[in-house]
Amino acid sequence: MDAIHAEGLSKRYGDTMALDDLRLSIPPGEVYGYLGPNGAGKTTTIRLLLGLHRPSAGTATLFGVDAWADPVAAHRRVAYVSGEPALWPALTAGETLEFLARLRGGADAPYRDELLERFDLDPRKKVRALSKGNRQKVQLVAALATRADLLILDEPTSGLDPLMEVEFRRCAVEAKRRGQTILLSSHILSEVEAVCDRVGILRRGRLVDEGSLDQLRHLHAQTVDVTFRGSAPELAALPGVHVEVTGASARRYLCSDGIGPLVDALAGHQVATLTSREPSLEEIFLHHYEDPAGTDDVAR
Amino acid sequence: MTVLAALAVRPHRQRPDVQQSLLLVRRGLRDSRTRIVTFGYLFAVYAYVQPVGYRHTYKTPLERAVFVHSFGDNPGLRLLYGLPRRLDTTAGYTAWRVGGVLAVAAAFFGLLAAVRATRAEEEAGRTEVVLSAPVSRTTATTALWSLIAAGTGVVWVAEFAGLLIARLPAGGAAALATSTAAVSVVFAAIGALGAQLAGTRRGAMAVGGAAVAAAFLLRILADTVSGAGWLGWLTPLGWAERLQPSTGFRPWVLVLPAAATAVLAAVAARWSRSRDIGAGLFPGRDWAEPHLALLRSPALLALRTQRGVLIAWLGATASFLAILGVVSHSLSSADVPDNVRRQLEKLGVGSIITPKGYMSFLFLIVVLVITLFAATQISGLRQDEIQHLETVLAGPIGRTAWLLQRLALTLLAAASLALTAGFAAWGGGVAAGIHLGLAGMLEAGANAIPITVLFLGPGVLAYGVAPRMAPGLTYVLIAVSFLWQLVGSLLSPPRWVLDLSPFAHLALVPTQRFQALSAAVMAGLGAVAAALAIAAFRRRDLIGD
Repeated sequence: MDAIHAEGLSKRYGDTMALDDLRLSIPPGEVYGYLGPNGAGKTTTIRLLLGLHRPSAGTATLFGVDAWADPVAAHRRVAYVSGEPALWPALTAGETLEFLARLRGGADAPYRDELLERFDLDPRKKVRALSKGNRQKVQLVAALATRADLLILDEPTSGLDPLMEVEFRRCAVEAKRRGQTILLSSHILSEVEAVCDRVGILRRGRLVDEGSLDQLRHLHAQTVDVTFRGSAPELAALPGVHVEVTGASARRYLCSDGIGPLVDALAGHQVATLTSREPSLEEIFLHHYEDPAGTDDVAR
Repeated sequence: MTVLAALAVRPHRQRPDVQQSLLLVRRGLRDSRTRIVTFGYLFAVYAYVQPVGYRHTYKTPLERAVFVHSFGDNPGLRLLYGLPRRLDTTAGYTAWRVGGVLAVAAAFFGLLAAVRATRAEEEAGRTEVVLSAPVSRTTATTALWSLIAAGTGVVWVAEFAGLLIARLPAGGAAALATSTAAVSVVFAAIGALGAQLAGTRRGAMAVGGAAVAAAFLLRILADTVSGAGWLGWLTPLGWAERLQPSTGFRPWVLVLPAAATAVLAAVAARWSRSRDIGAGLFPGRDWAEPHLALLRSPALLALRTQRGVLIAWLGATASFLAILGVVSHSLSSADVPDNVRRQLEKLGVGSIITPKGYMSFLFLIVVLVITLFAATQISGLRQDEIQHLETVLAGPIGRTAWLLQRLALTLLAAASLALTAGFAAWGGGVAAGIHLGLAGMLEAGANAIPITVLFLGPGVLAYGVAPRMAPGLTYVLIAVSFLWQLVGSLLSPPRWVLDLSPFAHLALVPTQRFQALSAAVMAGLGAVAAALAIAAFRRRDLIGD
């Protein structure tokens, strides 16, 4: 049974189609990166999954339970971190953790204390005196300390400093090792790259791309621009190398399996200049985000 | 980590939903304790003052007979307090004065309790946090109603205790407190419903406020227009009267508030289960064509964001005072026998039985309401600071300019309210063939302005020094000053004790002349406090939530 399963999930707010026919299937133990620009529908998806908003069409289940129909059963195995830390200003960090733990019916207290230490959080400080990043840490500690089977994290590191972001990644990796499932909504690509097994890209309410990181690394085609003395030669077809003609004596090679075979093939030719660069994950996503027609290639 | 070790979660034997409800109720009580204690205090003091004052003022049967004769059929007073019953007894008088006023206060108490615990929490995003835990919406509803019950219980006890200490029989006191509490609970249900409809706290309060106004209007019509008495069965405020606490308690009338609460609460609970968290059932528009008016300065923006509220205040003031102006026509000293009038004059309330005298008395309440409006503006300053003052003051605008602009806006709004009240009362009088005198009535309105400045002064000074406490302090200062005057005038203490309340220095315009000197002193003191406030505000840190 999937930890998260969505079928035809759609949500319309007035004139806006916030989420359009989402199909999502995340097995237990997987860490799923949910990517998309601002307003793409990430938070809407999470609210629908948690049964906080009612789907206009389709179904969503957490471990087989529809959270709209039975939120108590569905939430029992879930911990959630919202993108905006909405807490009780008059409570201290420690009191907040205690309140949220009791609301859930318990938390792993020793682990919580360890997390407080790791995230460098003073439990005696009142929430109203905490910075946004520190409030976010309170939410994170509260969620992680439940050791829930499924962690739904909506931009959990927004406002965290780089050190704390590293700490978060460590915690996420530990959770994964323990077999917890994570839905990580984010637009920090390095974070997603570091912890996620699989990634889905959302754009204007539609899932436009989905795949494992290995599959996505296909897109990590290294770009090699070569100019030749004289006209460019026709190289024999090389596996993993795509050729673009960029001039009479210039070619661009897109290498998805490293540049070794290309360099070997070029050895006997009159190469004038050779520059190589690797497009970042960012460029791949930018490609998705910026596509004006919205005719993105669907999952390979 | 000893702090947390001490707090470590222990296994609980209760059912999880019961435990969650208790947790949420405790949380809610902690958030609302100041409001509950303040209302409880006011209820207790007000309930205590009325019977004591009555016994003190009307000692002999003759005095009571005179009082009944002059006030019993007075529509102007019926309008304010409701239908009188057995005014020749302490119990009857108390039921009339306490019941009428506290029922309206209880309506707002219930409304606030429900809206704060539901829509305000939702707007802040905390409901989402709670409901993403294994907490059902039913549990949240149970917690809401337990919280409302607890708050209502506190004010019930406060009113009951106040009456009991004033030596009213326990049965009558309990009945009267119950009639007040019933109103509170019905309006809590209306607030809970409003919180489903509107997507913001302000919207939910507007829905509830309109309901209070409608209930009050129905009660007025029922109690003052002959043949319209049946309308009283349609309003929770009328039910409180028709319970006849302390003059022949009719407990069966409680069926009405109970049924209304049950129906409204059930509808609210049903709607709360079927909607998106964070949104209301009235879909608010998420986009709008740009309107560039009133964006030139922070004060104009404040005017822009508050214009709906201001229009509501102006509209409510105008219509209420116009009705009072119309009703004032039924007050004519010609109806009162000479000996009765002499008796009344001896008691110091003689002038109230003329239209002008009635207006002078009413405008005391208008003044109170306008000072309370000023207090809402102190609360607005605080809201601005929580939300966006940092952004504003990061721009090329100084703190002095910002605060002065906001104070000027507040003063302008208060002055418009005051003059609208005077004008509307005059207009109502004219419509009913009574000429109260336009100049005099405008003067009666203007009489509210200096004392408003006086209360704004310490309010804004508190804002300059201790911003978190400022709104509460301002409300409390006004309430205490008013009660001081109310209680003081009954207990006849030394003059200087009475004089401590600014309300003691307020001339009863139009019967009395507008007192320029005391007005100047009040405005001057307010201005000095405001100047100190600006100095303090320039020196302090901006403080968020």
